[in-house]
Order: sequence, then structure tokens, then C-alpha cells
Amino acid sequence: MTFPQCTHLHYQCLQLNGEVDLHNSPQVRKQLLNILKKNQSVLVDFSELSYIDSSGIATLVEAFNIAKNKELTLTIVAASGAPLQVLELTHLDKVFTLVNSMADIKE
Amino acid sequence: MKLNCRIEKSASTAQLCQIRSEVRQACAKMNFAESEINLITLAIDEACTNIIRYAYCGDESGRIVLNIYQSENAAIFQLQDFAKCISPSCLELRQQNLSQPGGLGLHLIHQVMDKVELLPPENHEGNILELTKHLP
Repeated sequence: MTFPQCTHLHYQCLQLNGEVDLHNSPQVRKQLLNILKKNQSVLVDFSELSYIDSSGIATLVEAFNIAKNKELTLTIVAASGAPLQVLELTHLDKVFTLVNSMADIKE
Repeated sequence: MKLNCRIEKSASTAQLCQIRSEVRQACAKMNFAESEINLITLAIDEACTNIIRYAYCGDESGRIVLNIYQSENAAIFQLQDFAKCISPSCLELRQQNLSQPGGLGLHLIHQVMDKVELLPPENHEGNILELTKHLP
């Protein structure tokens, strides 16, 4: 399964949907690393995401660190419910840039 | 202690979604709030993930059995595998460093649950992880 991607301003947006766990987090990793390889900043859209586990979180942390080293950005959009709880529990809500919606993204 | 639910699945990542769904239903019946159900489901999922990754090392022919009990004041989740016995020290928390891989799942389990304990397995076979959460 491939997660949908789109372009928003100069960002590449990865739209996570449903549940991300050990079964499909390798796919998320593959897509995120591909985007970063092309030196594009990433928006990770959580608006249709209902669950994420530690393997998904670890993937985001890895991508965030790569982005930072390349002076790119990784921004999480519209996190709520269980995924937001996981970010809060791991204190990553203080590390990642979180925005409420795509409308909050500026050029 | 009353057995509320028994879930038995193969040790496959494809089964995780179904296990989470059944855990959510069992927690709802015990009147946990939605936010608590999310966290308990996460903790059980992380424990199952550790069994698949580290106990069975990806061997999908292994089995995972989850018994959910309810006592007077707690929900008790007993998660059994039939892999090689692990040392209780495997459940000890390491210093969490998010820039390093591994250990995050165990960290989340300890944060969510009130008690995390490795029980002696029946017939010295496999491992039984008991996770306890006080009822609301």
C-alpha cells in the first residue's frame, strides 16, 4: 500500500491514513526518505490518521533528523485523537512543528 | 478475577489491527474513557509488536494469546507467547534517547500501565507478560 502524496506550495505532502503500525511503517519510511532524498521539505498530514505506534513515531523521528541535517523541514499537520496522544506521551509535540491545518502552512 | 476476553492470533504484523480492535472493544466494556482506551490499546499493541519482533524474530508461525481479565479494581492483560524464555531484565527501562532506535515501545508500555510484570510461564514454555491498569 502506498500512501497518497501531493504538492502544497514548495512542500511535498505525505497523507497518512487509517492506522500506521509495524505492518506498514516501512512503507511510510520508504516514502519519507524518498522525498528527503529529493531535498524537499515535508508535510505529514495526520488528518485521516487514526492510530500510530512507536515504529511509525521512530520513522518520523528518523526523517525529522535527516531533514534537519539537510536544512529542510518536516511538519506535522492536523494531529488529533490517538496520534496526538502518542506525540504528547513521547514529548515529541515539543520537538516536531505541529500545525492545525494546511491553511497554516506558509511559503 | 473474571476472564472478559480471549484473543489468539498468529505472530504476524497483519494481525495487529484486529488485536487492537478487540482490545478497544474489551476496554469500552470496562468503561474506560476514549483517551484511556487509546493509550491502553497502544500499550498492548507495543507489547505484541515486541513479541513479533524480538520473541519470534518475525516467524509468523508463532502464536500470541491475550487474555483480558477484570478484577474488582483493575483490568489485567496477560499476553502469552511460546518463544524462548526472556529475562525479566528485558523489561527494565533504559534511558530513552529518541535519536537512537529501539526501546520506545517498552517506554510507552511503562508510561501507560500501572504495573508491568513477567509471570512464570506454564510448563516453562514461552513468556507471560502481565499488564495491569486500574479501572476508572
